[in-house]
Parts: sequence; structure tokens; C-alpha cells
Amino acid sequence: MNPEDPESNVLADAAPGPRQASDRDAILLLSLFGLAILFTIAGVAARLFHAKERSLGQEWYARGQADLKVGKAQVAIKDFRNALAYSRDNALYRLHLALALTAANRTDEARAHLLNLWERQPGDGTVNLELARLAARQGKTADAVRYFHNAIFGVWPGNPDEARRDVRFELCDFLLAHGLKTEAQAILIELATDLPKDADLHVRVADLFLAATDYSHALKEYRAALDINNRSEPALAGAGEVAFHTGDYRTARRYLDRTVRLNPQNQGAAQLLETTNLILSIDPLMRGLSAWERASRVVRAYEQAATRLAACAGKRQEVLGGTEPDAEIQALSDRVSTLRPKMRERTLARDPDLLTQTTDLVFEVEEVAARKCGPASGLDLALLLLARQRGGAEP
Amino acid sequence: MSTAPAASPPPAPSGTPPLSMKDRLRSLRGAWTSGRMHLPLREDHLFLLLAVIIGLYAGLAVVCFRIAIDWARLHFLGSTLAPSWPRVVLVPGVVGLVVAFLVIHFFPRVRGSGVNQTKAAMYIYDGYIPFNTVIGKFITCVLAIGSGQSLGPEDPALQMGAGMASALGRRLRLAREKLRLIAPVGAAAGLAAAFNAPISAVLFVIEEVIGKWSAGVLGAIVLAAVSSVVVERGFLGEEPLFRVPPYHLVHPAELLAYAALGVVGGFASILFVKLVVWARAHLKRLPRWTQYLQPAAAGLLIGVVGIWFPQVMGAGYLFIDQALHDQFTWQMLALLGAFKILSTSLSFTSGTPGGMFAPTLFIGAMVGGAVGGIEHHFFPWLTGSVGAYALVGMGVFFAGFLRAPFTSVFMILEVSGNYSIIVPVMVSNTIAYLLSRRFQATPLFDVLSRQDGMDLPSMEEQREETTLRVEDAMRPYAGPFLRDEDRVVDALRRAEDSAVDFLLLPGANGVWRGFRKEALQKLAQEGQADMLLGIAVTENTLPWVHPDQPLEVALREIGDWPLLPVVHRADLRKLEGVLSLANILEAYRVASPPRS
Repeated sequence: MNPEDPESNVLADAAPGPRQASDRDAILLLSLFGLAILFTIAGVAARLFHAKERSLGQEWYARGQADLKVGKAQVAIKDFRNALAYSRDNALYRLHLALALTAANRTDEARAHLLNLWERQPGDGTVNLELARLAARQGKTADAVRYFHNAIFGVWPGNPDEARRDVRFELCDFLLAHGLKTEAQAILIELATDLPKDADLHVRVADLFLAATDYSHALKEYRAALDINNRSEPALAGAGEVAFHTGDYRTARRYLDRTVRLNPQNQGAAQLLETTNLILSIDPLMRGLSAWERASRVVRAYEQAATRLAACAGKRQEVLGGTEPDAEIQALSDRVSTLRPKMRERTLARDPDLLTQTTDLVFEVEEVAARKCGPASGLDLALLLLARQRGGAEP
Repeated sequence: MSTAPAASPPPAPSGTPPLSMKDRLRSLRGAWTSGRMHLPLREDHLFLLLAVIIGLYAGLAVVCFRIAIDWARLHFLGSTLAPSWPRVVLVPGVVGLVVAFLVIHFFPRVRGSGVNQTKAAMYIYDGYIPFNTVIGKFITCVLAIGSGQSLGPEDPALQMGAGMASALGRRLRLAREKLRLIAPVGAAAGLAAAFNAPISAVLFVIEEVIGKWSAGVLGAIVLAAVSSVVVERGFLGEEPLFRVPPYHLVHPAELLAYAALGVVGGFASILFVKLVVWARAHLKRLPRWTQYLQPAAAGLLIGVVGIWFPQVMGAGYLFIDQALHDQFTWQMLALLGAFKILSTSLSFTSGTPGGMFAPTLFIGAMVGGAVGGIEHHFFPWLTGSVGAYALVGMGVFFAGFLRAPFTSVFMILEVSGNYSIIVPVMVSNTIAYLLSRRFQATPLFDVLSRQDGMDLPSMEEQREETTLRVEDAMRPYAGPFLRDEDRVVDALRRAEDSAVDFLLLPGANGVWRGFRKEALQKLAQEGQADMLLGIAVTENTLPWVHPDQPLEVALREIGDWPLLPVVHRADLRKLEGVLSLANILEAYRVASPPRS
């Protein structure tokens, strides 16, 4: 201590003597020694406690997963909450808690947890996907689409390509379910560009194209699937269906025929094949027919339409109470009756105008009957599909 | 400071046998002594070094304390958040009996608020806190909080820090002044580690324990707080106590919603204070033997609440975090807030050792979240997330209940790390604080200390004390205004026309001189009547004061002078008035309320 230092003098009454200073040194040294001991104790305690916390967290997480698996969502929620109490920043635990809450229909709470995760990892693919699913479940279409897109471009552990592809599929399903075909088509085109050589995946994409009524892309994908596996039944059936929808009935018959031969149990394909065969057997506008054959088909179509109209008129009269006939059906019946004397193959073969007029009438009858008397079947369905194809509508 | 140098042993020549352990120790001591000779440690430096050591001790103690509480909870209530009802009901009650026994027979000083006990150490016991209190606080709080009593670890941590600091200070035989200040230094360190928030801890200790800003002690407090937080984070992780979601003000009009939160939070805090004060006063009046049962009874009742609302048991940090992340409905938040008020009142007033900080934050978060939830229900376009209201609610309750307005604002800033929340926090906290002051005149800590028979200085009252200023006591100068250029004879004539005996003469550079009439008469008789005053009067330079200065300054300056000139700050020759000792005393007399 400097005796000339005025500040030291101020503290003169407290200034320690040499012996006290030595004591102080000893106490300071002892206190440092005490610190070292306390550091060791705290270190060991902290390490043991963190290990215990980790093991408890894992234990509760495992219980939660088991409970969630057997459908005990409420119990799983408690388990995951307990797990989180021991590792509050564990994203996996929180994600599973959100899944359990979703499973228990506690969507608002699930959303809070997912948003919590999202705030910390906005680019996480899994979190975005779950948020998208939740938004979809809550009917928030715009949010769902946004989160789906985030998930597609998000970070995925393991196999990111596969995960992103799955999200795209899910997004397409969602968009198609909400009638957003154009948006779905865009995703599908994107999806189709980097598909691996897997017939099933091509079929899946093609099915979605088909659902989005993008027939050309759908057919292309079915064909790609058939290139990989030419005995792929779904690809054959799908290609047949696409060809059917585009009015290419010959091609449709080819694919459907192969499908049914491959799997006679495929009722859908068999039914479509039957309709296709009927269409091909009655289509009066088919190219390459002789005049006689064309006239013969028109006569058959006329008879079928007349029968359908008569049945429909009776049904309508029943519905209307049996007093007044349906005016539209009545007018059509009159026109059908007017043409009846001319319905001979020879007459029709010589008069293309009459043939066209009759064909138009047949199609009109089938359209009106379908509208007023319910769905057609058999030959009537074939004629109706032809009518629609001719009218520019989708068959 | 010096120590006698110990003779260092000569270095061992090569080829000689290796040094024994005793020689090595002696050599080490010699090196230490030699080093200390070159590094003399002054009292101030020692104080700062001590602050760091205290911070490290407090940080380590808090680490052990928090781990011990969690271990105790695991063992008492199990690893689930919702323990089975027999455990929930029985454990707090049974452990309450043990705690009561320990408190009554071994650690009687661990009852009550650690803040008040630290203040008592500082203002009454010259910084003395028995080390037994530290041990007692550790054990009893671990048992109480671990068994589910609705109390927090911050207040005990504060007291443990203060106790350790006091013990170390005593062993080092610090001067009395330093010993008094060492307890708050330890308190700040303990609180900082418990809160993981050094700024709030420093502010709280200054706002509530010391009551004034002093550069000397501030440095030590900051060092201790930072050291303890570094240690605590080193062992328990860098994560803040609460993870606060991003916040933004949805619309300027949302401040009205926060103002409403301030009103609700303010009234809720008043209710809480009144409940605690009323229940504590009544329970203290019960026969002494009931003190064995009070913590157990409180524990039993809390256990009953805990069957349906296990969240109210213990400190409840996890659930505060959940409230901040919108994980409760507003109805649930309101119920949790109400039951926590009840549970904490039961625990605290029963004499169970433990702190009120965590419960305060818990209740604030729940009440804030509930208010936010209701507002969001009715005005969804105007209000932000419920979590933001829960966060602001914590500050509101802190301001209203603990009456620490500065700490309440900075604590939220520190916890959230988000500057943009400052405006809502200030609005809400101010409203809650003002309401609390309006309907609860005496702050909680002061009421508690008075219930314990102590009259500790109230920091709020100190803050509110009006300072008497010079302008409150000064009078107009009635004497003649003399100048250096006046002749002595003229000055004497003017002085004789005046009733004033002591005359003032302003000089150059703001020098004021004062003299009596007799001095002028003497000059005239000595034949210096025509001499200029500036030349004739050169002595008796007066101190002067300004009107805005505290009256204490004038009291110190006036000495034996009959008058002090009060001069303008911008023109030191301009006289604003004068001040006599009688004026000063009169001003103090008028300002002092009569004591009942």
C-alpha cells in the first residue's frame, strides 16, 4: 500500500496488516481450491443428470411411439409430452407429439407444435409436410399448398429424392381432390421429368394425369411403363382407358383386350372392353365402312334409340303423374316416327343426307334420354358416348 | 499490502535427487509470495476479484441447486408430468412436515423472502448472513420445490448467493462498508444464475436491494452476475429459460389490447398481494405448534389442486414455455393463473421456504395468455399471438406484484431478445405498476418485512422521496446590490439605508465576496472611504449554490457564513436569492411530515 496515495488513506482503517494480508491470501487460495471441488461436483452432477434426462426422454418417446402405433393417441400425447419435458428442443419428440395430437383430432394444438418446429427449422421437409397435411385437414387449401411446396423444396434426411417425389404425389392427390387440375398438371409434369425406371411409378403418374384429364401425358406415361414392363396390367388398363376417353376405340380395344386376357378378374377393364366392342360394332361414322354396312348400323342405332325413347317417355309420364307427356320427348318421338318409313338399308345407303339426319337424331335421342331418364347402358351407352364424342364433349 | 517474502529454495542442480513434496510445496509458496509482492492487491481490487469468485461460487451453487430440485422431483413425483393422484396429494404434504421440522429446529432463518433477508443483512447486520442459512435454504427448498410446493428457486438462489458472499467476505475480514455491500453482490450472482439473465439480476438488486446506483458496487455486481451466468450456462446449457417465439406488433391499435392486459394484470397482482399479505398475517398469529403443520397442509391442498392441474406444482417453467407457444386454450390459461395464485399463496404464507419469482412469472404468463386469447377471439385482426401476450403478461405481473418496474421491462427484453416488444411491455407494465401503487400503497417486500418486525428501507419510498432543493429555501436578497466599481463611502451609505447586516459583492469570474457593515465602517475610518470596493475588499470569498441544487449541498457549503448567494447557472454574477442556515432548517422542517 502506498501511504501517499490519498485513496489508500481513505481506506486506511480497513487496510490489512501483513499478517492479515497473508491470511487473506490463504483464504483466497482456499476459496479457489473450494471452487475447483465445487466445479467437479457440479460437473459430475450435471453429467449424470443430463444422462438421466436423455434416457427418460427416450423411454417416454418409445412408449409414445408404441401407444401411437396401437391407436392410443391420447396416451401417446402424454408420453410425448413427458419426453419433451426432458428434452424440450428435441424436434423428433415434438413432431411425434404433433402427430399424436393430430391423430386425436386436436389439430389446433398440433399446429402450435408444428409451427414451433417450423419457426426453428423453416426448411425442414417433414415439418412442412405435416403442416400441409394439417392445413389440408382443416380445409386451408392455400396454406396446405404453400406448405406442400415448402416440403418439396425442403431438407429431407435419408433419401431426399424419394421423399420429395412422395410429397409431389401427395400434393397432386390433394390438388385433384380440390378440383385444381391445372395446378396438379404442372406438378405432374415436373414429377414425370425425373422418374426413375420404375413401371409402377410411371403408372402412378399416368393415373394422376388421367385424373387431371391430361390424356396425352397419361398415355405417354402408360406407354413408358409398358416399355419397362409390357405385361403391366395397370399400365395396359390405363392405356386402354385413356384411348377410350380420347375416342381411339380401336387402340382402347387392343389394350383392354390384353388387360382382360392378362387378368380376367379385372371387372373394370372387362366392362370397358365390352362398351368399346359395342361402340366399335355400332359406330355409324367409323371410317372404312361400306355404304351398306354404314346404313345397316344407322338402322340398328335408330331402332335402339327409338326403343330407348319409348321407354324413357313412359318413365317420364310416370314421373309427371301420367297426365301430360314430356314435351321434349314427345317432339323427339314425333321426329322418330316421321323417319320410320325411311329406315331401310337401301334407302339410307343411297341418301347420305338422310343417313346424317338419322344419325343426328339418334344421338340427340340418346342425349335427351340420358339427361331425363338416367344413365344409359349397353348399346345405348355406346351410342351416347359416340354422341358425346361427336359433340366435342369427353366421351 | 505486503507479505513477508519466504525464502525460496535454491534450484536443484542436475544430478541431485528429485525434490520432495514438502520442498515442492515450499517452492510453490515462495513463487506465490514473490508474485504477490509484485502484484499488490488493494481493497478495491480485492473486492472486484472477490466479486468474480462469488459469481463462480453462486453459479456453481445454483447449478447444483437446480439439478437437486429436478432430482428431488423425479424421486418424489416420478418422471411423468401428470403423476398419479396418491403421489400428487401425499408427497407435498408429507415432505411439508419434514420441511417444517427442519425449518423450526435447524434453519429458522430460511423462512421468508430472500430479498428481505439480504436487505436486512445489508442494513441491519453489517452484511452478516450465517452460512447455515445457505445450507438450510438449499436443503429445504430442494425438498419443498421438488415435492411440488408452488414456489420458485430464484429467491433462494439470491439468498444463497448473498450468504456465500457474506461468508467469504467475513473470512477475508473485509472492511465493514465492503462487507455490507458484498451480500448484494452475491445476491445478484445467485439471481443471475437462477434466471439465466444477468442484466435483470443486476437491475433487480440495484432497484430492490441497494436502491441507488453507485459506480463502486455496480462493477462488482456486474462481474459477479456475469461470472455466475457463464458458469450456469457452461453446465446447464446456453438455452434461455424460456424460448420466446418471434413477435411483432400487428397494428398500432394493438397497444390498446396490451393496455387492457396491463389493467387486468394489475388488478390480478393486487389480488395476489392482498391474498398473500392477509393469509400470512393470519397464519403468523396461529399458535407456534401449527407451524409444524402449515407447510404440510399447504402441500396437501396444492396436491388436491394438482390432481386436475399438475401444472401449478413446482416452479412451472415448462408450462410457461408452453404458454409462450400457444399450447393452452385461453380458458385453461385463466384457470392455471387462478389456481397458481391460490397455490403460491398457500405455499408462501405457510412458511415453506421458496421464492416468488417463478410463480409470479407463471401467473403473469397465464393471465397474459388468457387476456390475449380472449382479445384474439373477439378481435382476431387486431391482436397477435397468445404467446406474445403471455410474454408481456410476465412483465406485467412482475411490475405489479414485485413492484420492480425497471427490472420488469428489461427482464422481458432480455428473456425475449426482441427489442420490438418494448413498447407493449412499457405500456402494460406501467399501467399495472400504477394500479398496484394506487390500490396497494406498500410494496409486498416492505409489508413482509414489517410483518416480520423489521423496518427495512423501502426502495420504492426512497425513489419517491422528494428532494428539497435550494430554490425551496432561498429568500430574496434585501441588501444593496454593490459592485467592484463602487466607492467604499457610497457602499457604506447604501448599506446604512438597508436593514441587512451581511453584504454581498459579485466579482469577476463568478467570485462572490461577503462582509458585514462594520467592515465598511472600519475601512472608512481607516481613510479608505474613496477606495473602490473591488480593491478594498479582497477577502471573504463566499461559496455559492444554484437554485436547482439539492438543499444538502447548501447545508454542506454554508459553514459559518451567515448567507450563501444563490446564483444563476448561465450568469454567475446574477443573484437569484440568498440562503441562511435558518432558511435551510425551516425548509426541512416544513417538508418533514409530523411523526405520529
